[in-house]
Amino acid sequence: MNCKELIYLLEDYLDGTMEGQLKEELDAHIAMCEPCLHFLETYGKTRVLCRQVTLDEIPPEFRERLRSFVMMKARERRNGIEKYLREEGQERREQAMSIVRAYRDRRLAPALIELLDSHRERCPTCGAYLKSLNGGETPFPLSEGLEEHIVEFLDALPPGEDPFRA
Amino acid sequence: MPAERLYDDNVLLEELRKGSPEAVEMLFERFHGKIYGLAMSILKNESDAEEAAQDVFLTVFQKADTFQGNSALYSWIYRICVNACLMRLRGKRRHETVSIEEFMPVFTEEGKHAGSVESWGKEVERKMLNRELGQVIRKFTEDLSEKYRVVFVLSDVEGLSNEETAQILGLSVPAVKSRLHRARLYLREQLSRYLREGKTD
Repeated sequence: MNCKELIYLLEDYLDGTMEGQLKEELDAHIAMCEPCLHFLETYGKTRVLCRQVTLDEIPPEFRERLRSFVMMKARERRNGIEKYLREEGQERREQAMSIVRAYRDRRLAPALIELLDSHRERCPTCGAYLKSLNGGETPFPLSEGLEEHIVEFLDALPPGEDPFRA
Repeated sequence: MPAERLYDDNVLLEELRKGSPEAVEMLFERFHGKIYGLAMSILKNESDAEEAAQDVFLTVFQKADTFQGNSALYSWIYRICVNACLMRLRGKRRHETVSIEEFMPVFTEEGKHAGSVESWGKEVERKMLNRELGQVIRKFTEDLSEKYRVVFVLSDVEGLSNEETAQILGLSVPAVKSRLHRARLYLREQLSRYLREGKTD
């Protein structure tokens, strides 16, 4: 062990994570070497002092400015999210209506017609409505509950299939 | 929702994704001080730090949806902050930094200390409070290149583990330990010179 080697091991030595035999070697060297003893002391003290350093505090006017900025951006983002949800809801409703119309006109893919026909027979929520359509009636605007129900029914279909007849 | 629930990082993130104003409030309260302080320690300029802090919040908003939660929220935010600061430093004329090599210990061919090594422990305790010396150290860290300064700030000032620091900076743990060690060697030498000169004054 020489002074140069010792320098590289200082951290582990001070952390107490060093294995026993190596530590004994270091202790033996330090006991005989005044520069290393001083180096160890001052290095250890430096480590302690380093932990006294603190981050700069944010000046109050900066804080307020940053706060306004963040809140403004958050508001913009929130409006964006709401707009997106609104538009998406609208789109889903339109899709539901176009499927209902296509069902009335028998323009749907055959599998889907079959599905809706069998659903119609046992669904207390939309059965009556769907039956009325096959009398050739114009689909009246869906009530909100009924609309939600049909959207859910459509969402449960396997994805990726075009519901309309090719 | 009771505000305390927002102290839970997962709840906070979930609410942020939905755009909850309370969650934004909580995010700001919990992190703005750290973000600014960290940015300031890297950029060393108030208005740069302020702009970097703005960038950090914007990035957090944008990425809240994709954050996987496989690291702690604060370390994710620190990472965003460090990256935002380094982006800002890029392309900027860097503040002249000292060459850390000039402060590394020098050895003879046999590996002995080439110069004298003096103790200053007692001296220091008599003359100066640890806090004052903390300020002196801080001045010295400002001359370090950001490569060392960032590691120093995360580990010693913020008290993060080497593993956390490594994760935030995308470095290996040995690389973090080595930079930290060199930063401390530099600071030890700077302090020695400072105190030696102080004595002769």
